[in-house]
Amino acid sequence: MSRRLPPQPGEWIQRDKAVEFRFEGREYTGFQGDVLSSALWANGINVLGRSFKYHRPRGIYSLAGHDANVVVEDRLRSNLRGDVLPIRGGMDLRAVNTGGGLAGDRYRIMEWLSPFLPVGFYYKAFHTPRRFFRFYEGLMRRAAGLGRIHVGARADMSRKDYAFCDLLVVGAGPSGLSAAIAAAEMGATVLLVDDQPRPGGSLCWQHLDAPESRSDLLEKACALPNLEIRSNTQAAGWYADQWVALVDDRRLTKLRTRATLVASGCIEQPAVFHNNDLPGVMLASAAQRLMKLYSVKPCDRAVVLTANDDGYLAALDLADAGVVVAAVVDLRPAQSCTPVAAEVAAHGIEILKGQAVYEAVVSRSKNGIAAAVVCCLDQNGQPRLSSARRILCDGIAVSVGWAPNASILAQAGTRFRYDSQLQQLAPHDLPRGVFAAGRVNGIFALEERIADGRQAGLAAVAFLGHQIEVPASVPRSRTAHSHAYPIFDHPHKKNFVDLDEDLQLVDLLNAHQEGYDSIELIKRYSTVGMGPSQGKLSNMNAVRVVARLNGQSLDQTGMTTARPFYQPVSIANLAGRRFHPYRLTPMDGWHRQAGAVMVPVGTWFRPEYYATKEKSRADCVLEEAREVRRGVGLIDISTLCKFEVAGPDAARFLEQIYTGRFARQNIGRMRYALACDEMGYVTEEGVVARLAEDRFYVTASTAGGEAFYREMQRWAIVFHMNVVLSNVTAHMAAINVAGPRARGVLAEIAEVDIGATEFPFAHVRDMVVAGVAAIVMRVGFVGELSYEIHVPADKAAGVWDALILAGRNSGIRPFGTEAQRLLRLEKGHLIAGHDTDPLTTPFEAQLDWAVDMNKSFFIGQRSLRIHAGRPLERRLVGIAFAYGYLGELPEECRLIVNRGQIAGRVTSIAGRTTVGGPIGLAFVRPDLAEPGTSLCIRVDAREMSEAQVVRLPFYDPDNTRQT
Amino acid sequence: MKSISCPINGTRPLQEFQYGGEVREMPDPDRASDEIWTDYLFNRRGEPGVTREWWYHQPSGTWFIAERDIVKDEFLRTYLYGSETCDE
Amino acid sequence: MFRAPERLKDEYDVVIIGGGGHGLAAAYYLAKDHGITNVAVLERSYIGAGGTGRNTAIIRSNYLTPEGARFYQASIELFQDLSRALNFNLFYSERGHFTLAHSPASLRTQRWRAEVNQHLGIDSDVVGTDFIKRTIPEIDLACGGHQPPILGALYHPPGAIARHDAVAWAYARGADRAGVEIHQKVAVTGVEIRDGAVTGVHTDKGFVKTKKVLSAVAGWTTYITSMIGLRTPLVIHPLQALVTEPLKPWLNSIVVSASLHLYVSQSSRGELVTGASLDPYPVLSMRSSLDFAEGSCGHLLDLFPFLGDIKVLRQWGGLCDMTPDFSPIMGTTPIAGFYIDAGWGTWGFKATPISGKTMAFTLAHGRNHDLIKAFNLSRFPNFQLVGEKGAASVGH
Repeated sequence: MSRRLPPQPGEWIQRDKAVEFRFEGREYTGFQGDVLSSALWANGINVLGRSFKYHRPRGIYSLAGHDANVVVEDRLRSNLRGDVLPIRGGMDLRAVNTGGGLAGDRYRIMEWLSPFLPVGFYYKAFHTPRRFFRFYEGLMRRAAGLGRIHVGARADMSRKDYAFCDLLVVGAGPSGLSAAIAAAEMGATVLLVDDQPRPGGSLCWQHLDAPESRSDLLEKACALPNLEIRSNTQAAGWYADQWVALVDDRRLTKLRTRATLVASGCIEQPAVFHNNDLPGVMLASAAQRLMKLYSVKPCDRAVVLTANDDGYLAALDLADAGVVVAAVVDLRPAQSCTPVAAEVAAHGIEILKGQAVYEAVVSRSKNGIAAAVVCCLDQNGQPRLSSARRILCDGIAVSVGWAPNASILAQAGTRFRYDSQLQQLAPHDLPRGVFAAGRVNGIFALEERIADGRQAGLAAVAFLGHQIEVPASVPRSRTAHSHAYPIFDHPHKKNFVDLDEDLQLVDLLNAHQEGYDSIELIKRYSTVGMGPSQGKLSNMNAVRVVARLNGQSLDQTGMTTARPFYQPVSIANLAGRRFHPYRLTPMDGWHRQAGAVMVPVGTWFRPEYYATKEKSRADCVLEEAREVRRGVGLIDISTLCKFEVAGPDAARFLEQIYTGRFARQNIGRMRYALACDEMGYVTEEGVVARLAEDRFYVTASTAGGEAFYREMQRWAIVFHMNVVLSNVTAHMAAINVAGPRARGVLAEIAEVDIGATEFPFAHVRDMVVAGVAAIVMRVGFVGELSYEIHVPADKAAGVWDALILAGRNSGIRPFGTEAQRLLRLEKGHLIAGHDTDPLTTPFEAQLDWAVDMNKSFFIGQRSLRIHAGRPLERRLVGIAFAYGYLGELPEECRLIVNRGQIAGRVTSIAGRTTVGGPIGLAFVRPDLAEPGTSLCIRVDAREMSEAQVVRLPFYDPDNTRQT
Repeated sequence: MKSISCPINGTRPLQEFQYGGEVREMPDPDRASDEIWTDYLFNRRGEPGVTREWWYHQPSGTWFIAERDIVKDEFLRTYLYGSETCDE
Repeated sequence: MFRAPERLKDEYDVVIIGGGGHGLAAAYYLAKDHGITNVAVLERSYIGAGGTGRNTAIIRSNYLTPEGARFYQASIELFQDLSRALNFNLFYSERGHFTLAHSPASLRTQRWRAEVNQHLGIDSDVVGTDFIKRTIPEIDLACGGHQPPILGALYHPPGAIARHDAVAWAYARGADRAGVEIHQKVAVTGVEIRDGAVTGVHTDKGFVKTKKVLSAVAGWTTYITSMIGLRTPLVIHPLQALVTEPLKPWLNSIVVSASLHLYVSQSSRGELVTGASLDPYPVLSMRSSLDFAEGSCGHLLDLFPFLGDIKVLRQWGGLCDMTPDFSPIMGTTPIAGFYIDAGWGTWGFKATPISGKTMAFTLAHGRNHDLIKAFNLSRFPNFQLVGEKGAASVGH
């Protein structure tokens, strides 16, 4: 049975474009422009979904995406809302959360169990014994949730845009259009957004008696080049400094506006009566949307429940569409009579004043309603059952009140107050740069909304700095458009305050009785307003209930907090295209071609080792290290942070930054440098090379150097130092050539004499290497003769190639970070951050030699004086396993145990080394730090291994190799 | 996203900035007692109200001072370290 | 659930500032363990309004330091029996807790944590990718190439979630039945101190005499300490979270990735609850940022690429009182009779029972309970920090 009406003026459907789709396994046809709910309703389908908890049949309720009655999924997508889901050919949808389909949903049994499941029952049961909870929890989890995930699904990549404007107007209804036009006419750049497919707001479905308003406003708006209208776009979130998330189906636009004007209208609110959730009961605005936008008849015989003129207008619209309006039931007492009521009466429609729909009667099919039971209201506004009367109908249109669509205003910090003339909330205190107009502002008559929009638009322009006259504010409506308490108790309950969560009036009463007496506690205990529509249709009535129970005003009761988002936003929209920038050294291509296994280090990628066919990682690493020990190797160390420190105070500055001495450092010399934080804990290490009296070249670690540089910049300001700091990390690349044959290799391409006496250990030279101006340092971390060659990044690849070529006969080969780590470990050099943690002092790390406590000041010195006066808690020591040790080696971070107590921790370990047996570094209790002490180290939960504390370094203790 | 006014580069989005902690005056390390020194090291003002803070504009490497209401998260004033008296 | 006393009495043996989980638990154990019932809990808003009702309800004990691990393990042991003890179903649900490692460095830290945990008898170990994939088949170990791949994880089978509000309600009811007064909508405006000792508390409903005050207001602690000039290292940062629309349960474990700054679990309602790291600068009010939502959603897709069409319902923020070492500040202070329970950062919910129990002991005896000695405010001037940064930062 089709409910499709003949063509209506302004309808959104395109009758020449039929759309075939499937729902619950059956074929249906709708039109392009239909949403799922309208298309199914047009096909005569009543049950479009099942409720979350009791699996009651549900149909159209708000038709605006403000309820979760119709939630569907397809093979890839979940939790789609049928009220706002445009149908497309080939869609194959089914309702979520049913037991074996919508029609025969097995979980309908939940409704019969409902008397045994009062609000919060789950807090009182099933917890003892604990075993039982596991079983019960399994049942609970099966019942929870709506749609299923689809592991194979991949959402389309969503774009992110940025936009800027002077004024954002939210809502393209009459007041929003009028505001946007007024502001744009004054020259402001205006962006007008609306979440509906077409602009016009309620003019599209409610005020068809004034069709010229919509066309006039749209015509004016379109003529203004500085006014952009975006439909299908929700203002989802408002954040500090007028930063607004605009979401459409393809992208997230991040808007920076200078002012925000909210004309988002109102959300029609339900009346609470028995069976107020069944298919056929719907908001009057939903009935109007259905008729005007989609040309679908809501029902054949309607009762209109109202408490304002809007309901009477809806009754006229229903009558126009050929629906028999059996009665208009008006909650207001008999005395009020308006012109529109007279018009309804003139249509011969019965008007029942001072009466309420007390219950909807379930139809025989159980899929809809058969009648409304109407009662007179007593002085307390409660139904007098003796007066009950049954009116046959298959639809009830409810128009008993509105709540401001306040999300964006509230997110922006607007406070709302209850207006007792309007009987609803209205903005009370607008933040700077935030404006409200139209129904959200408590103004209801169409002409006044347009005037209010204009006024607010001009006020916004004045705020933006235009010198203009702002007209006086439009006063709020004096008549109530909402009823103070459209909520009616019923012995058989099923009078829902929250349709999403299946919460009945009694649930709120019970929660209150149990002592959850504030709106926030009731919300959390009963879950009212926590469902997918976030209380858009339930919060207002819940507040009315709680206020009445507490004998408080609505302002005293308070609203729950508004949080982003206005409507749910997809994860793909928010994630957007994901950018993960990383940095590559100039030699990156070479490494990869040479088979390097790259690993992320900070924001960089570095070769961990160079893989050779049919050799294990460990073999490759050991070979690379051996080559350095016996021949020559080279490593790309471009990722090190590199700074220049220049100026008259440069030396004095470095003295204060680092723990060592630099003031008397000779030009052409370089030194190890250690830095601590103010608490005296090790933070950074590197080298400082003096290039001139007033110029130093400094290196720091790949991962920590950038943060260290920032701190250096700050200290330079705080210390009032006359220094210039430059971070040349990206500008300079660096290569370390190491091994006994390193000198020979470098000598081939260096244009100066680099003999042992001309260029000794711990010296730095400016020289030309392979035709490139370089800073070359004689360093010794790997324990061999080695040169650190720093060159401009754009020339570095050439220098690298030249080194490879020059080393060809010496068997030069590249080595990666793992071999470097092994070589450093053998030489007893700790790696800050690897062998130390954020609370390691230099004394614990055996770095006393790098700390000059006699200097006048350095960062951390004052605290180190305190540390020095206390007994050490641990020391970093070398450990060695017996030569030929065959047992399993402990991993790094395994514990050292002494008489059942934690006595330390391994920080570095190397199983295969160039120095014989396995070695490592470990923190141990000071009483275990003496060389020769035997340590028990955990290998796994059961096994222990044994190692000895040994003197550092493991390799070349007399430093004969690096000179 | 918030906007912050860098004294050198003008108003820029928050993502270009890094917070650098409260501004604290270092006591004379040679004269301060351990108690005063560790109070300087560890304790913070942290309380509601306007706080003087270090902020860093990352792309340009600019450190500056901001006076910020840390309850409302409102930047009241920004200036370079040491210049607070001259710009009034 | 609990009574709403008409007015404050003139004098209490103990006044507890803050009607969150910690304050209510302390009140409960004061009455139950120590027979001290002349106690008032003063709550500025409604009970559980602060961190208790805003956290992501994760409970675990796989901490890095022995002091921390021991303390949180004691908390878990109380939690496991708490529903029965309080006769209130807290939905304490052991789901297993994964801390993913995307780098060798984070695998090392996790090995360290596992070592300390195992030494103390805590069920915790480093697991490989096979185990992760078996337990969470939906996860993309390669992170779609957007992040370094997952190399392993620290796995903690007792890791649990619970219904956070219910913890506050259950303790409130228990404390109320034992005779404690719970006053909601009473704001503390000052603490009276004479000769270095507490003599009473000023509130917007009048002055009450007391010799012992416990400040248990976590993210609002600096409001209280600034009233009495007590200096602490606390700095308040917002922490944000978001939930999706409810989905049929599929994610049985709690998943944390420190390098992605993300943690996610699925609630008993079916919502995915996710959070990130702290906001990068201090703010003393709860607000949301779009950057957070964008970042979290991106990282959620790195791990679970099929969630793109799933929708985020709402985001919210809470306040975290951060300490330099990521451990709490508990126990006595230099002011006689003023006790502090703060520094709860992002790890307060899981400590609710044990902090209540140990603070009650400390209040009753005037000396710090053994389990919290290491967390005293005096550890800072003594350089006795309890460094939990590696375990606590995005651990939750």
